[in-house]
Amino acid sequence: MKGGYANPIEMKLFVNDRQIDLAPGMTVRHALIGAGLFDEALAGEKVFDEWGNEVGLDGALCENAKIYVGMKTRKG
Amino acid sequence: MKRSGIAAVASFAFTVFFFFSFLAFVNAQEIRILHVNDFHGFAEDHKRLGSDAPQGGIAYLAALAGQLRQEKPSVLLAAGDMIQGNTWANLFEGRPSIEVMNAMGFDAMTVGNHEFDFGKAVLVKRVQEAKFPVLGANIEGLDSLKPYTIKEVGGVRLGIIGIVTEDTPSATHPDNVEGLRFLPVAKTVERCIGELKGRADIIVVLSHIGYNADMALANSVKGIDVIVGGHSHTKTGKHIVVGNTIIVQAWEHGLVLGVLDLTVEDGKIVNAVSRLEEVSPQKIKKPREDVARIVDEYTRQVNEVMGRVIGKASVDLDGENVRVRETNLGNFIADIFKKESGADATIINGGGIRASIKKGGINIKSIYSVLPFNNYIVAIKLTGKQVKDALEYGLSGIEAKEGRFPQVAGLSFTYSTKQPAGSRIKDVFVNGKSIDPEKQYVVATNDFLAAGGDGYQVFREAIRQSQDFAIIGGTIKSGNIVYNDAGRWLRDVVVKAVEEKKNISPSVEGRIRESN
Repeated sequence: MKGGYANPIEMKLFVNDRQIDLAPGMTVRHALIGAGLFDEALAGEKVFDEWGNEVGLDGALCENAKIYVGMKTRKG
Repeated sequence: MKRSGIAAVASFAFTVFFFFSFLAFVNAQEIRILHVNDFHGFAEDHKRLGSDAPQGGIAYLAALAGQLRQEKPSVLLAAGDMIQGNTWANLFEGRPSIEVMNAMGFDAMTVGNHEFDFGKAVLVKRVQEAKFPVLGANIEGLDSLKPYTIKEVGGVRLGIIGIVTEDTPSATHPDNVEGLRFLPVAKTVERCIGELKGRADIIVVLSHIGYNADMALANSVKGIDVIVGGHSHTKTGKHIVVGNTIIVQAWEHGLVLGVLDLTVEDGKIVNAVSRLEEVSPQKIKKPREDVARIVDEYTRQVNEVMGRVIGKASVDLDGENVRVRETNLGNFIADIFKKESGADATIINGGGIRASIKKGGINIKSIYSVLPFNNYIVAIKLTGKQVKDALEYGLSGIEAKEGRFPQVAGLSFTYSTKQPAGSRIKDVFVNGKSIDPEKQYVVATNDFLAAGGDGYQVFREAIRQSQDFAIIGGTIKSGNIVYNDAGRWLRDVVVKAVEEKKNISPSVEGRIRESN
């Protein structure tokens, strides 16, 4: 982690609680591709962050981000 | 006597209460912050995935913003990534976005990471064209950007500080940020707040660092009243408050307009109400005409540019057979990956090539048909074994014409479909030499495969193994990621290559040979 806000190189995040590793600059779209869930998004399923906010497919991600597709959040 | 005394005291107390309430009412100011972020040049209304109703449209957003501005003293702010993304903006290096923003009377904008994607010189030009301050407090080396601006609205002085993600250099071509330093956000904001002391009543941070980072910023820096965010494309239905800081963000692509109404008393926010107003032709009905004219004019120019012949193909360019064999178009595109990134080799998915180009003139539209996806070039270090594993995986779905079939450059191989999937690759050569399973090779690919698309696991594994990331002199140095140009779509790189080369005559060279 650089400077407290920057993403490290091996950006680790979670899609439906499953860990995914991405390159810096990659987005929600790439996380869904990595999780094999991009087709769900193409079919119109919305993607949410861990706070229950909808996020766009080109939205930036950060280390330890949690996103959910097909459910608002794991917590409900 | 006693009763009348009590009545007199009560009457006096009521008068005093009423008087001070009145004073407070007189001192209270109602102001409005209107905000957008991550517009990315999506000027026309469009249908989103899974929806049949058109949404967005900057001329409709402009009409809505105009109505809302009339209701109370307002500012209109943009939290970054306004000029790059959609073809409407990209073909003119972001100029249309600035023209529209000028017409709409934006009050300030912070740069996002994608504002750098056309290079520093273009960004400076766009900043000069803007009739509003373009902010970037944590960027050192670009004098056109201001750290902050002070805007008086309804008697309230807003100190507006602009910041962008420190990760910007890792997500654009190194040339675009050469000589620039991206300073730590928190320290920068603290410094700016100090400079604004006594000059601003309310501190607004116009942020392009993402929602989670906005929360961290609010937690770590005192004195921020409002963060208007972007970068994570977050649709915050209502604002949240972290410490004493209000945080909002307005999704993406001009699909909503953020509205934050503030009541300010004696330089303090005493009430905040927020919402996102949906933008759509059905809801708003009448677009703002001057903005619609700008949108239409650039759309007309896009169509004109798309039809422009930029080169010539001396042979038919085969995009039909890219899922089953080496093709000349696959070679041409794979070669561009290798040249652009300086990699030893290229492995891309044939399924990413979606059309052929007939012999004759090549226009931009035909290249966009070949490469319709928003993909970009990434180069990753792989071992020889990983290269072979990637090729094995690519060949594993050939019978079903799966899109994972590889098109390659800088390497050649033979395979046999008589062998089971996973054991089909025979000889692999990189730049004419037999591949060394232990040696590291730099392999260019697209971001889709790098993320694990089409089931490719090799690139993701290599990313996971990356270490020692650093940005030295504007160049990304990391364990395994060597090149990562997220700001230029592959199709635009190919357009540039055709423009430079003029005559295109790629051939099938025996890079991929079946040997049964």
